[in-house]
Amino acid sequence: MDRKIVAQVVYQISAVTVVAILLGGIASLAAIGFVEAVHYLNGKLLISPYARVLAEDQHSLVVAATLLVPATGGLIVGLVVHFLVRQKRGLSPPDAILAAQTSGPAPGFPSGVASTLAALVSLGSGASVGQYGPLVYLGAMFGSLVGRLKLNLRHQRSIAIACGVAAAISTAFNAPIAGLVFAHEVILRHYSLRAFAPVTVAAATGYIVANVIFDRPALFLVSFNEVAHTYEYVFFALEGVLCAGMAWVFMRLLRVSTSTAERYILWPWARPAIAGLMVGVVALWIPEVLGIGQETLRFATIEGAFGIGELGLIITAKLVLTAVCVGFGFVGGVFSPALLIGILFGAFYGLVLPYLLPVPHSGLVVYAICGMMALASSVIGAPLTTILIVFELTRSYDLTIAAMVSVVFANLISYRVIGRSLFDLQLRSWGFDLSLGRDKAILQTHPIRDFLSTEYTAASDRDTVGEVRQRLVDDHRSEAMVLDHNGRLLGVIRLQGIVNSEAQLSVMEAIIPSFTIFDEQTSVWQSMESLRGFLGEAVPLVNEYGQLLGVVAEEAVIRAYLEIVHDLREEENEAA
Amino acid sequence: MKRPSWVVLSWMVASVFTPAMSLGQDNRPEPLTVATWGGAYEESQRRAYFAPFTEATGIPIKTVHYDGGIRVLQEHLASGEVEWDVIDMIQSDASAACDAGLLAPIDPGMLAPAPDGTPAQEDFMEGAINRCFITQIVFSTVIAFDDRAFPGVKPDSVEDFFDLETFPGKRALRKAPVGLAEWALLSLSVPQEQLYDLLSTRRGLDLAARRLDEIRDSIIWWTRGVEPVELLTSGQAAMATGYNGRFFHARVMEGAPISVIWDGQLIGFNSWTILRGTDQAEQAARFIAFATRAENMATQASLISYGPARKSAQQRVGLHTDVGVPMMPYMPTASAHMERAVIRDHRWYSQTGELREQWFREWLEAGKTGE
Repeated sequence: MDRKIVAQVVYQISAVTVVAILLGGIASLAAIGFVEAVHYLNGKLLISPYARVLAEDQHSLVVAATLLVPATGGLIVGLVVHFLVRQKRGLSPPDAILAAQTSGPAPGFPSGVASTLAALVSLGSGASVGQYGPLVYLGAMFGSLVGRLKLNLRHQRSIAIACGVAAAISTAFNAPIAGLVFAHEVILRHYSLRAFAPVTVAAATGYIVANVIFDRPALFLVSFNEVAHTYEYVFFALEGVLCAGMAWVFMRLLRVSTSTAERYILWPWARPAIAGLMVGVVALWIPEVLGIGQETLRFATIEGAFGIGELGLIITAKLVLTAVCVGFGFVGGVFSPALLIGILFGAFYGLVLPYLLPVPHSGLVVYAICGMMALASSVIGAPLTTILIVFELTRSYDLTIAAMVSVVFANLISYRVIGRSLFDLQLRSWGFDLSLGRDKAILQTHPIRDFLSTEYTAASDRDTVGEVRQRLVDDHRSEAMVLDHNGRLLGVIRLQGIVNSEAQLSVMEAIIPSFTIFDEQTSVWQSMESLRGFLGEAVPLVNEYGQLLGVVAEEAVIRAYLEIVHDLREEENEAA
Repeated sequence: MKRPSWVVLSWMVASVFTPAMSLGQDNRPEPLTVATWGGAYEESQRRAYFAPFTEATGIPIKTVHYDGGIRVLQEHLASGEVEWDVIDMIQSDASAACDAGLLAPIDPGMLAPAPDGTPAQEDFMEGAINRCFITQIVFSTVIAFDDRAFPGVKPDSVEDFFDLETFPGKRALRKAPVGLAEWALLSLSVPQEQLYDLLSTRRGLDLAARRLDEIRDSIIWWTRGVEPVELLTSGQAAMATGYNGRFFHARVMEGAPISVIWDGQLIGFNSWTILRGTDQAEQAARFIAFATRAENMATQASLISYGPARKSAQQRVGLHTDVGVPMMPYMPTASAHMERAVIRDHRWYSQTGELREQWFREWLEAGKTGE
């Protein structure tokens, strides 16, 4: 007996470790491949400044590429998404969150591959979207693939998805701790040792793979000594508040652009092409809007690279075009655009500040980094991750603490005004509301139908009150379901209401026509809500034609709630 | 300021000719003309390649002065009389000249294997063997300073080169859009991996120009490789950029008070090329095969601190032939010097010639109107 338990534990630990290393490796290599492919396409398609300057002797070619590449890319993306992705939209982190949180069907591997391809074309052709969203989904896609293997591990799918995501982020940012925290903060939404251990292994594997094979310059390398004046922390806090405002503006623009696209462009597959054309036209004038903008990001940390007016212009253009690209259906994330807009806004704030408050401050870099992280954390709802990214990339304590202050103030505001993140807003629009924690959201995904009982007392519309009364007494029930000859539910009869009625009376005269009713889609959460003030014994559940399928006893609703919540608490408190 | 170089040149030509004349009486072979860079560098080539080649083949070598670029090649070809045979070119120039059809193709089959039999393809550095150029040495453009100018704290970074307050004095820079923009951005703590990405944008070039504005009034321009050493030793400049081999020679061989700052060194490569249309293509190829033999490359590296481009030659670098100092610490590729080394992107350089020229011209013009 003991031996069996030991063998089981050894199996669990080794299987989980192997899965974590394997997934870490695969997700990391996939992320590297993706980033390299985007880089290659940017070079070949004259999107990156390096490629553009090398082709400068054929100026008209550069102009033509600027106008045509994003538009053509948009057309390809539109067609791929429309015809090859089942959901008819790019798959993104919210899909990963949903797949990790619920046991419902995941988007499927072919759709995932098509969506990743569309993301590759989007980023490769210079659309103003980010690469981390697709990378997160890529990691989640491999995770859910491994989640399907029959390994007999508890919570296998959610842990595998978290492993894939952690490795992808760890590779992309070269920041394993941030990857680990991101998987917990955004995907899993809880911390348990059972998940923590494999996710850490996957993040570390991703980091190792990235460092052996992939030698790219870090996202940002800055030199910063220290925050020179204590009062600057107040400025950082204020910056955070302003960034929350920027995040709000961004989300509003995104909503406006999405509804504009839906209202005015009838063919969904044509929408990204139009967004691409807009990017191309603006890029002729402001080339910074093209693509991920690695160079612009770097310039934002250099004093003297931008004038205030220029910065304002680029921020506005990038903000609007990112909203247009995402809203019109280019496939890509919002994290890197948020980082870019944030760092530019931070630089802007750092430049304007001395005019508003003429006191000495510690230079542009710290304000740029604070803005970057405050805005990005408000958009993706991951304050801890962004703080850790700063720490891992700069290894500077002062910079991290400054960023921390901005991030926290930004999140305090944005949480109230917008919600936790753009991802949660998207999930809510799909009916999965995480705003009150994951309990409610998960209760909403479980149908009460699973707790259906077919033990009930039925009555026909032609029965008399006396017959039904006798049947209820025999069955020890106080409620009967009245059905017509097609099995459709007409109403309920309660014993309390017919105790003193005449036996010859038709049931139709004693029937209660308005009563609580469930259908096949009713979730556990909804059933709990509708039980408020409910006096009966059980709630009838009908199909779409109104036919009675069974009843759900009050006790069953409570049992459903307890079982689901118990599972969640168990998952959250599990050891390795 | 410029030493009349014909004195040096004629002396060198004479010294090359002497053994040839005694060897080949009447049907003396036509001399092979090599365009190269003069000074200590050319002297090391004379001892390692030219003299031994003449001794082995009887073909005398005549040198002409070359200061880089491809315009002089175009002009030389346009003049109708092709006199130059072999040219020692910066790799990016060689690449651009090759694309422009100014160079003859080189058969890599004629390159000698390493002494241990390793084929040349594996023995040379990656990317060294090309259609019409064979990369032979690694050289570096570094910042050096006059020790006497800074008796206290010594400058030790590119930032210090731009810091006129802490380290006052004239700065000598090559009057060409080579390295200037890189150093300007490096001094703004741009990591070296991102330099060419940033310099590909208008903003990057503008930023570099503004950074150079800060030292504009303290710049002395030089054009020939020998000048930086002269400017430093004569006290005209406190800091100067220049080729690392020249500074090595001045310091180690001549005892000049010059120290090198390896921070931000700009690593480049020199390649042997054959000018298109020469009637001595065969002899030229023979010379290149001879000059790229591991033993001969090691001989040059024991005379001047430029790193040979093949591994078997690097392994043979030891003490300086004349003064016996170990050469490795003076090589640009020594690991201690590589931390913030910029590897010159020869693809970028060969494609941005016009852009860089225009940027440089505009920057110079802006200075004039500002005065």
